[in-house]
Amino acid sequence: MDVLQAGIGEFTVEEPDALRAFMRSEKRREMVEKVMPEAEAVRRYVKDGDYVSFDFSSFTRGPASLIREIVRQRKRDLWFAAKFTLMESTLLAAGGCLRGIDVGFLGLGALIGKAVEQGRVKVTEWTNGTLALRHLAGAMGVPFLPTRSLLATDTLTYSGAKVVHDPFTGRPIALVPAVNPDVGLVHVHQCDVYGNARCFGPGVSPLETAMASKRTIISTEEIITTDDIRKEPSKTTIPYYLVDAVVYAPFGCLPGGAQGLYEMDTDHFMEYLAASSDEQRMGAYLETYAYSVASHDEFLEKRVGVARLMELKRQATIKEGYH
Amino acid sequence: MTTRDFTESEFMICQCARLMEDGKIVFIGYGMPQIAAILAQRLHAPRMVQVYEFGAVGPLPETPFIRFTMGGPRNCSRSLAWTNMNTIFAQAQLGVVDLGVLGATQIDQFGNINSTMLGADHARPEKRFPGSGGANEVLTHCWRTVIVVLHERRRFVKKVDFVTSPGYLDGAPGARERAGLPRGTGPWRVVTSKALFGFDEHTKRMTLLGVLRGVPVTDVLGEMEFAPLVSDKLENLEPPTTEEMHLLRDEIDPSRAIIGKATGV
Repeated sequence: MDVLQAGIGEFTVEEPDALRAFMRSEKRREMVEKVMPEAEAVRRYVKDGDYVSFDFSSFTRGPASLIREIVRQRKRDLWFAAKFTLMESTLLAAGGCLRGIDVGFLGLGALIGKAVEQGRVKVTEWTNGTLALRHLAGAMGVPFLPTRSLLATDTLTYSGAKVVHDPFTGRPIALVPAVNPDVGLVHVHQCDVYGNARCFGPGVSPLETAMASKRTIISTEEIITTDDIRKEPSKTTIPYYLVDAVVYAPFGCLPGGAQGLYEMDTDHFMEYLAASSDEQRMGAYLETYAYSVASHDEFLEKRVGVARLMELKRQATIKEGYH
Repeated sequence: MTTRDFTESEFMICQCARLMEDGKIVFIGYGMPQIAAILAQRLHAPRMVQVYEFGAVGPLPETPFIRFTMGGPRNCSRSLAWTNMNTIFAQAQLGVVDLGVLGATQIDQFGNINSTMLGADHARPEKRFPGSGGANEVLTHCWRTVIVVLHERRRFVKKVDFVTSPGYLDGAPGARERAGLPRGTGPWRVVTSKALFGFDEHTKRMTLLGVLRGVPVTDVLGEMEFAPLVSDKLENLEPPTTEEMHLLRDEIDPSRAIIGKATGV
């Protein structure tokens, strides 16, 4: 196949048989308990220089407590898949954790823009849809998938996509390379101690992210029994053998919400937005919500408080479909 | 016109809602498109189906709108289906999504849009913006796309600094199809704070179709770097009606998160 155009963006693609070998030897088939504190999960599975992906958004069912833990542990040189990000990229960049971002949606606030303008954070351009598609390719164990997105744009020029003549119809088509993140972070409504996990409501790509990632850390609102999982298997989003760590993290999406359980904290987002354009204020924000607390539990206790938690729970009046 | 009792956002939202037809599948993004879709559903398009990039299909969002609500329960309330990003963009690529609605930082006369950066050097942009998000998919795959943009000279440029999402490219006949983009798609209308544009069938050049009642055409053209075609049947665009304003301010967005603070009241 002749390559008509090749994007110049930085990316890496996994050799499929090397990936299969990893999945064969590293993804445990036996059901073993994987529950551990977030500090241990992040210490074990997030290394400096890793490619990190996450699911859904800052506002809804995002793994916010795990992102704060990465900041707290001062991980370095990460490359981040911003397929639907609003605040995660800013927090990681402000914490000095990022080398680059696959965009997606870069994030909200002037600081993350400034980090790119000054060359402190590199960007490879994609789109929300093609980043999700790259995760699907990674989840399928194929090196690429075709799409009609990206064609005839500068987005493609600064991506890692290639344009070829489709061998079946002869028309130009874009190929996007698979991504197999070193680590994927997915917050779920429920899972058992082995990692059989349920996400309720719409989402970006929880299953693709868990399948594509070499290591998958699940944080969960509730831990339930495997018997309960087996009673309603159509509710299972992610089977246990894709999961490497389970972190018990009620209210783990805060300041975002978990559908049916608690609403997002709009006041906190206004505070974040104000901080997201100013380096000093962002430094203070990170100090308050990440560095100065030892864990998610302490964040809930000292930075949110029972009254706020109860109020956000009270606001979650819409339950339909989320159980 | 010295004072007016509606905001620029309110006018753009109403214009946008007026372009949403009943019974169509419509791709909706955060902010003004959300409010416009709710307004259209209340007024003339009760069977319009909203779809979102995180996979919600056919929600009937709760009001009042609460800032930042999108993937959460209030916006996804009473949906027909909850899917995911790959599924919903596949459906757009398949050809079942009729209309998409987008914002833009810059737009050129052929409807190419930039939401990525200003400047010439991608590695060191003068100003960096969020990037495509789902915009590239929307403008690529939806049968029709409405672009909503404030009417400012710096936004209507001869050449966009970066083509984030494809319009009619260089305007040559069949340019989109030759590039492999889906046949019969592309930007359809541009809704601004002063005017409404379409695209000429043959030259694909942006064409002024209508002007907000009371705004001189010279005001509209003066705020653009390029000269658009001007329709010989120029329409007067009506300001938001009493009913539209009542719905927007009292029912849909009383906290004015999206419709903006009123001026001149």
